[in-house]
Amino acid sequence: MTEHQILPSDRAPAQFSVLALTAPVAMGYIPLGAVFGFLFVQAGGDWWLAMVASLLVYAGASQFMMIPMLAAGLPLGTIALATLIVNSRHVFYGLSLMNRLPASWSLRWYMVFALTDETYSLLTTLPGATSPRQMALLAALNHSWWVLGSVAGAAIGAQAHIALAGLDFVLAALFAVLTVEQWRSRKSSVPLWVALAAYALAYPLAARHALVISIALSIVAGLLWQARSPAGADDD
Amino acid sequence: MIDTGYALGVIAAMALVTFALRALPFVAAQWLNQHALARALGEFLPLAIMTLLLVHSLTGAALEHPTGPWPELLAVSLVVLVQWRSRNPLLSIVVGTSLYVLMRNFG
Repeated sequence: MTEHQILPSDRAPAQFSVLALTAPVAMGYIPLGAVFGFLFVQAGGDWWLAMVASLLVYAGASQFMMIPMLAAGLPLGTIALATLIVNSRHVFYGLSLMNRLPASWSLRWYMVFALTDETYSLLTTLPGATSPRQMALLAALNHSWWVLGSVAGAAIGAQAHIALAGLDFVLAALFAVLTVEQWRSRKSSVPLWVALAAYALAYPLAARHALVISIALSIVAGLLWQARSPAGADDD
Repeated sequence: MIDTGYALGVIAAMALVTFALRALPFVAAQWLNQHALARALGEFLPLAIMTLLLVHSLTGAALEHPTGPWPELLAVSLVVLVQWRSRNPLLSIVVGTSLYVLMRNFG
């Protein structure tokens, strides 16, 4: 979900409670999950599908992204590709946790599955002596906040007929938040300008497919940009 | 109405892709470290994709108004400003969405 700091930096007492640690995550996951469930149902999906998505996919940004894509009936391959791109940052989380995850096969793979931005950042702040079971409990609590929020939001969405125009702006607001966080941690601002140019090019060509076309253009641009500055290896 | 079979297919595909990404470092740590291109795309694409999702989620509504896309531009600017200063996603989203809903309904 988002890469902001959840923990005050001075909070690392020896006797910590896993529940207390996940409280800030709960405060973020439950409302955001509720927004997801609400929008999913409003877009025409069954409430239990929202729950299944949160249970099995468990990745905030791509779940929000899936709503307009599902509603537009985009091909499965396109949605899978977009998921691959949006979640590609997760690849780099496991590297730093490799030696700390539980040895037990099932716990270990559950933790790998549940490595969201927030769970990752909590796990990396845990004291070295934390037991594998506590780490897994932390991951499972975070997961359950997300599912709980989604179900609650879907239930509300199934009842409510929105009287207010513009509530779907929450989606744009979430993407704006994620863009700001990507911008904050950027190494270059080129990707933002490339994306804007690609969209400006794609929209007049085919408004309905502007997103797919501009994603493809951005990938090509990213490859070319990398080829032009082959210094990729010198940044560490 | 979203078709249930189609939605389940999409959810399954997304679940597989997301899990594969999270599992990749545990099976291919060395390969990843050696491939500068994979890393470079990993650095380049997230900002580009988020920008695209933001722009795309706004164009529909923004091009409807006869007076121009001012509500969208104002509300997004507010979200960006609040998020930049506060780093609190929930606060940024609530503040920006409230402003937008106010402008759309009572503006």
